[in-house]
Amino acid sequence: MEDQALVMKNVCKDFKVLNRHEGLKGSIQDLFSRDYKTISAVKDVSLEVARGEIIGYLGPNGAGKSTTIKMMTGVLEPTSGEILVNGKVPYKNRTENCENIGVVFGQRSQLWWSLPLIESFKLLRDLYMVPEKQYEDMIELYRSLVDIEPIINKPVRQMSLGQRTLSDILAAFIHNPAIVFLDEPTIGLDVSMKDKIRALIKGLNKEKNTTVILTTHDMGDVDALCRRIVIIDKGTKIYDNDIEHLKGYFGSYRTLHMKLADDTWEQMLIDEKTTDVMQVITEKQKVTKIKDIRLEEISTEEVIKKIYEGEAV
Amino acid sequence: MEKKKRGLRFYADIYRKILVQDLKTKMSYRADFIISTIGMIMVNLSGFVTFLILFRNFPTINGWDYYHMLFLYGFSLVALTPVQCFFDNNWNLRFHVTSGDFIKYCFRPVNVFFYFMSEVFDVKGLGQLAFGIGTLIYAWVHIGIPVTPLVIAKLIVFLLTASLFMIALMNAAAATCFWIRNSGYVMVIMFRFKDFAKYPSSIFSGVFSFLFTFIIPIAFVAYYPSLVILEPDNVPLLSWLSPLLGVLFFWLSYKFWMLGVRKYDFTGS
Repeated sequence: MEDQALVMKNVCKDFKVLNRHEGLKGSIQDLFSRDYKTISAVKDVSLEVARGEIIGYLGPNGAGKSTTIKMMTGVLEPTSGEILVNGKVPYKNRTENCENIGVVFGQRSQLWWSLPLIESFKLLRDLYMVPEKQYEDMIELYRSLVDIEPIINKPVRQMSLGQRTLSDILAAFIHNPAIVFLDEPTIGLDVSMKDKIRALIKGLNKEKNTTVILTTHDMGDVDALCRRIVIIDKGTKIYDNDIEHLKGYFGSYRTLHMKLADDTWEQMLIDEKTTDVMQVITEKQKVTKIKDIRLEEISTEEVIKKIYEGEAV
Repeated sequence: MEKKKRGLRFYADIYRKILVQDLKTKMSYRADFIISTIGMIMVNLSGFVTFLILFRNFPTINGWDYYHMLFLYGFSLVALTPVQCFFDNNWNLRFHVTSGDFIKYCFRPVNVFFYFMSEVFDVKGLGQLAFGIGTLIYAWVHIGIPVTPLVIAKLIVFLLTASLFMIALMNAAAATCFWIRNSGYVMVIMFRFKDFAKYPSSIFSGVFSFLFTFIIPIAFVAYYPSLVILEPDNVPLLSWLSPLLGVLFFWLSYKFWMLGVRKYDFTGS
């Protein structure tokens, strides 16, 4: 157990929701109604994450990702099952758990809005009671990983979204936590900023052996950072293994790109077991001229899409 | 890993550091700072003018003459300063809760209530404090209350008591947002009630007197605590009990606030 950063055993989370009625009469009824229905947001999820691992925690919108993260961070209490973060039950020792985790929500800064970044860092150092030496070393490490000079004296309020995300990620590591939760860290960022952010996460993970739990809809994040992915859908874990393993299942799939007469590219996903690629091309040629052809292995994005759409693993 | 102790000193230290940073940035928005200070002075002046007009027409209210009323007025202003300065973020609570932003206050290894309140220090309260102290001293001199260390000590204790009641009221009002959507009204109503604090509770008839003493303890925001100074020979039991009640009310409101945090399910991402 000691080398596991996070353990979840048969974790379930139910929410009670009032059955709402329609119309004015219904609203009045609702005031006194005890008519609740139970919604299971997370059903019987078990998971183990080793120290230093980066896992991609994926699933379509509303699958139960955020609920799981909230339970891991100690904000929500599971209805049943057991969660251990760094060997401790997070919701029973919220403050103690917070000592050892870092959290970043893509579009919500947790830094002091009007303070320059360096002042936020110093306040966090004091909040987490980080020893001076450790703090200095961490700032040194930051300097070696990204160019923090342009942002270090800038108030968070004046930063671009990319700079803010970068700052939030740095802030989440300042107390050298065992686990960092990153919720869509690259959402809304441009391509080069995305690259920077990914490199930073990778660098911090490598230097500090920090466990990273990454939720994202951007498969570029997954390709760049994770070897292992966990997918949940409708509250149930449907996949937990390496990405390569997953691609193996769809090994016979190819993405066919065709450049048509009007210079547009058309994309098709073809299962070679059932469909002949040449046949598809011939068929297409009967209708239009094909200028160029490219055949590729299935991308992570396509694989995940297939899984979300309910293709068995 | 050893457990880190976070005691009173830690919290005081953190608060001071956040405050210093906050003030530094506030000063840098000079226009904003000046305008809000002027605004606060105007609000207090207009309150004061209303008060003067009232007394032009009624020389005494229920046996309370001008200077005693002024004392009560000044007392309530000073007592309302802490809630204005330190707990002003209560007004923003409902926005953080409905937007889901509130969750960010739960990721630090410190008390959520403290962390949330530490974010805002409202400078405007200081103008009110100066105004209140001025009024209080003016009335004090005219009534001719002796200045002894004991009276000063009593004044401080009972001012703090009065503050606790107002803080408790605002905490409780703000915390309703964890359960109901339009909690803004609850806060505004509570904040309006504070206007009644300026008047001796004895002017209210049976039902209201009971309401403002036991249900919404506005009478404790100035009337009962100030009696200890104003009428030292004739202090009602409720006045002597008010420090204890104040602590109790504050504690209850804090528990209510924290219960809201725990009950709130942070839906949405």
